[in-house]
Amino acid sequence: MRLAGSGIFDMNLGFEELLLLASIVVPTVVSICLFTGVVTSDEAAKKLAYVGFGVPFVSGVLLFLWFEGAVGADYKYEVLFDRTGLQELGITFHLGLNGVSSPLFAMAGFVGLAAGLAAIHSGAERIRLYLALLTLMQAGLMGFFASVDLFFYFLFHEFALVPTFIMIGLWGGRDRRSVALEITIYLTLGALIVLGGLVALNVMGDAEKFDFPTLVHLLSTTALGESAQFKIFGLLLLGFGILVALFPFHTWAPRAYSAAPTSVSMLHAGVLKKFGLYGLVQVAVPLLPSGAAQWSDFLIWLALGNVLFVGLVTMAQNNLKSMVGYGSVMHMGYCFLGVATCSALGAGSVVMLMTAHGLSVALMFLVGTFVYRRCGTFEMDEMGGLGTKTPVLACFFLAAAFATIGLPGFGNFWGEFGIFMSLGENPGTRFALVLAVIGIIISAIFGLRAVAKVFFGEQTEEFAEFEKENPVKDLNLVEMLPAGLLVAALLLLGLWPRTISDRVNAEIGNRYQAFESSVPGSLPACCALTAEEPEVKEGIETNGAAVEATEESSKPKAGDHD
Amino acid sequence: MDITTGTLLLIPLASAATILLFFRQNGKIASYVSVAAAGAILLLSLQIIFSESASADSESGDAIVDSGVTWLEIADFKIVADFQIDDPEANNESKALLFVVSFVGFLIHVFSLGYMADDAGKARYFGGLSIFMFSMLGITLADNLIIIFVFWELVGFSSYMLIAHYFHTKEASDASKKAFIVNRVGDFGFLIGIVLTYWIFGTVNLSELSQLMAADPARATTGIALALACGFIGKSAQFPLQVWLPDAMAGPTPVSALIHAATMVAAGIYLLARIDFLFTPEALSFIALLGAAMGLYAGFCALVQRDIKKILAYSTLSQLGYMAAAFGLGLEGVALFHLATHAFFKGLMFLGAGSVIHSCHHEQDIFKMGGLRSRMPVTANTFLIGVLAISGVNFFSGYFSKDAILLGAYNLNLPVFVVLYLGAILTAFYMFRLYWIAFCGEPRSKHVAEANESPSVMTWPLIILAVLSAIGGFEALWPEALFAAFHTDLHVVHGMPGHLWMVVLGTFAWVAGALGSRRLYGQAGNEDPLMEKAPALFQLCSSKLFFDEIYNFYVTSIQQRVARILEVLELLFISGLMVRGSAGAAGLFALFGKSFYLGRIHGYAFWFLIGVVGFLAYAAGWFGHF
Repeated sequence: MRLAGSGIFDMNLGFEELLLLASIVVPTVVSICLFTGVVTSDEAAKKLAYVGFGVPFVSGVLLFLWFEGAVGADYKYEVLFDRTGLQELGITFHLGLNGVSSPLFAMAGFVGLAAGLAAIHSGAERIRLYLALLTLMQAGLMGFFASVDLFFYFLFHEFALVPTFIMIGLWGGRDRRSVALEITIYLTLGALIVLGGLVALNVMGDAEKFDFPTLVHLLSTTALGESAQFKIFGLLLLGFGILVALFPFHTWAPRAYSAAPTSVSMLHAGVLKKFGLYGLVQVAVPLLPSGAAQWSDFLIWLALGNVLFVGLVTMAQNNLKSMVGYGSVMHMGYCFLGVATCSALGAGSVVMLMTAHGLSVALMFLVGTFVYRRCGTFEMDEMGGLGTKTPVLACFFLAAAFATIGLPGFGNFWGEFGIFMSLGENPGTRFALVLAVIGIIISAIFGLRAVAKVFFGEQTEEFAEFEKENPVKDLNLVEMLPAGLLVAALLLLGLWPRTISDRVNAEIGNRYQAFESSVPGSLPACCALTAEEPEVKEGIETNGAAVEATEESSKPKAGDHD
Repeated sequence: MDITTGTLLLIPLASAATILLFFRQNGKIASYVSVAAAGAILLLSLQIIFSESASADSESGDAIVDSGVTWLEIADFKIVADFQIDDPEANNESKALLFVVSFVGFLIHVFSLGYMADDAGKARYFGGLSIFMFSMLGITLADNLIIIFVFWELVGFSSYMLIAHYFHTKEASDASKKAFIVNRVGDFGFLIGIVLTYWIFGTVNLSELSQLMAADPARATTGIALALACGFIGKSAQFPLQVWLPDAMAGPTPVSALIHAATMVAAGIYLLARIDFLFTPEALSFIALLGAAMGLYAGFCALVQRDIKKILAYSTLSQLGYMAAAFGLGLEGVALFHLATHAFFKGLMFLGAGSVIHSCHHEQDIFKMGGLRSRMPVTANTFLIGVLAISGVNFFSGYFSKDAILLGAYNLNLPVFVVLYLGAILTAFYMFRLYWIAFCGEPRSKHVAEANESPSVMTWPLIILAVLSAIGGFEALWPEALFAAFHTDLHVVHGMPGHLWMVVLGTFAWVAGALGSRRLYGQAGNEDPLMEKAPALFQLCSSKLFFDEIYNFYVTSIQQRVARILEVLELLFISGLMVRGSAGAAGLFALFGKSFYLGRIHGYAFWFLIGVVGFLAYAAGWFGHF
């Protein structure tokens, strides 16, 4: 492990480091230009916005491709400025990517470009301001995945969060004001709690710096006490839980997503919401292993709330956009389950699922909006029969729906499968496996229900009425481009998961191994990673019960065709 | 994965991708691409089947060790893409299925050229067929439960797409959704079974598992076996998940023939045969009973159907029940043999039905047909061969495979035998019923009276399948490489006592069924005579024991209502109290702040500021260490 920052002041940046820096600086500069009115025409603003979203995309892809052999707990492409003015407080501007953040960083670039393209061609009013806020958001998103310093990690998140409030307030749909106010307060509260947790981590760890490697180094040599870990992890979990929409803190999300303009929903649900999970996987669990272990059982139940409770609520949605919103909250439950296993497998699978889910939920919001443009509504009961008119859109929608459902061939499958695997690894969490797998039925129900309601069957009267005035056309090239981008990435992850899994594995394996050995063997049963031979017997017994449950719950569900 | 296996999988995938990307608008080219792919698959499969058998002896030693590409590795979880046609253990079973899939698949592709000639969605249809071939070959060749599961889901997807071919109809829309979701219910257990297998046995590679189990058979548990069998129950539409298959007939008829009769539904049986070593005696008897019950139940359901495809669908359910029963009796070779002969004769009959439907302008009600024997002689005669084969008429293919199951049951499990035997009489009865009503007598509607024989692109597949249905039971006619999978268990059955009895009983079953139905339906009009003669039986059979009604009730009245109640609860308590509550409390502070400086949205900035100050304060250590 390399301790970065001890006196290093490296201004001789290479091309890669510059690229990393550019992914944050360029959208910020674009945003400033648009804000300050340097650019006066809408056309020029759009051109500039291409740059603002294009650079992070290129940077994300290139840095992803160039990222070689992760060594674990080490960062590539490091950029470090010591003199932030806050160096006395241990705050340095420190960027870099490791095996966990690099796939997410690339994903943020992908989703950002797709959302940006959608925004540029959205025809929104006051487009310059809209793009200014969106590029600012993009800068923040790229920033928090690239930050090594916890302070900037948090700060960049706020960069991304603030514009969402404003954009929902100004360009949102129904109830935009109350939604904007509600999530402003609520999410800020969550962020504050996170901040409290991070500060506590720093203070308790006696760290002189907010630098992540410093903390790792410190805490792996002298772990915090049990109760301190319990408190800090609880704080972080609460804060991150609010931000990621952990049950029962989730209700803001569907409301916000259905009110928000498409590009904001795409970026928020796809990328911004991953902030909390990323924090848990990258920071909280490895640094506070015993804290995580103590909260694990509790977290499993909350996460099951996401999968089952929110899953059922999703099935009751007739509005396409809120269905997508609820669906995304439901799938966050899988991520939390993976986190709750406190295992390398769980954490690695969470990263896989986060990456894929970011792409798929963005795609879902995007194609949902395409449907809206053609039907004039998000109410699924007022659509129908769109498939014959827009076969290409139907194709993309099917791809999005089946990616969400977790069909093999799309990236989501491997993430979900890995999480199921991680739940099965330990006999203590096998009950959660059985409950969580019910989710694959639930997502199939709401996903296919949407496909059938929108594209299959006969056209409804409302839609026929609307179509008279607004002739329906299939996707044009401008619409196909962002959707195609996302589908291609999802397929790549699905067909060749090792695109990301190898580096995630190297990084996670190293990190989680490090803490496993550092914790004085007092992990509770559910978090013990050494569960092998002696527990096999127990496993078989549990298994009998599990199968009974299988039989039980498979019977009444058999007719779920609506 | 060696080069040939890889190519075999790539051909249909490439075909599907080409169609999707380039020939979406051009159905004609799409259909040729897909048929050419199916032809190439057939050739390559035959090459694999026959060349490997020569080399298997020399290479069998190291074949198992050879493993595929690592597909995914996270921590202690690793997926290796094992496609091991070389594995002598799995060899025979997969070769048999490979032959069935590629051969019947090719014939059905060719048939589709005629059947779908004028369809607007032709390109989508043939693309779907290619995806299906890809997924089905994947299941056939995979040697690893996780890889099987991947393709398992993909056949489910292609089945969904093809059932939804006429998606503008409500019927197809509902049926496709139902098929996928019900299959997911089965996959629920299957997935759990796979996960537990991985952690309890340390591997999901079938060759390794079989070695483990051979070393210590006591490690098998009924729980895991039954969890894995859930996959079979969903895919092969056995109790209690049988409801999707009859509805799936909403898809084009060749699809029903290929997916919902000959191959995909039979994949469930194949799965069982691949994991047989994981089954305990209890699990086996459970499957045997389940299968036998379906053999009889579906027969009764078929008895009163009017739709030619529904009759065949229920008959498929029933025959799958026979295969399951055979597996449960420990005779998996016999089950696979029946799988193969069933693929011939049921594929034949579905295609025959397709030929009829095609020339009768999509009339599917057999009571509106009649007299087709003279209008469509090739279709009628080949269909008759199918009927004779499935009824178990002596020396037709079904006779050998089904009577082997009956004889096995007779010696191993008498209750199962009784149920299956009743089912056999019923089979002959309802299959001949179909034949008498649809093909004999006088035409009962205009379109039928004007029907013409289908073009030769459709009749040739019928003829080829008819030949196989007729003679496919003779062991001597099968190449050794293909028959090896059936060989051992068939010989076990041949060694059992009671052959003569079985010949008498078997002959009685089909004669009774054929004559009985001739008597009842020989002069049928537009209505089902059974309705008058035995109204109680008719009602009972029509009700299908209310499975659909119960599930519908569950979905509309329980599941959907619970979902709505939860939605309301969520709004009231979580959203109302917790979020608004806490937001309200925080909002009070914000209000406080606002009165100092800021506007509504910017109340946020105030909080942020406090946060930063707090952060700096902590960092500077103003609050001391807690």
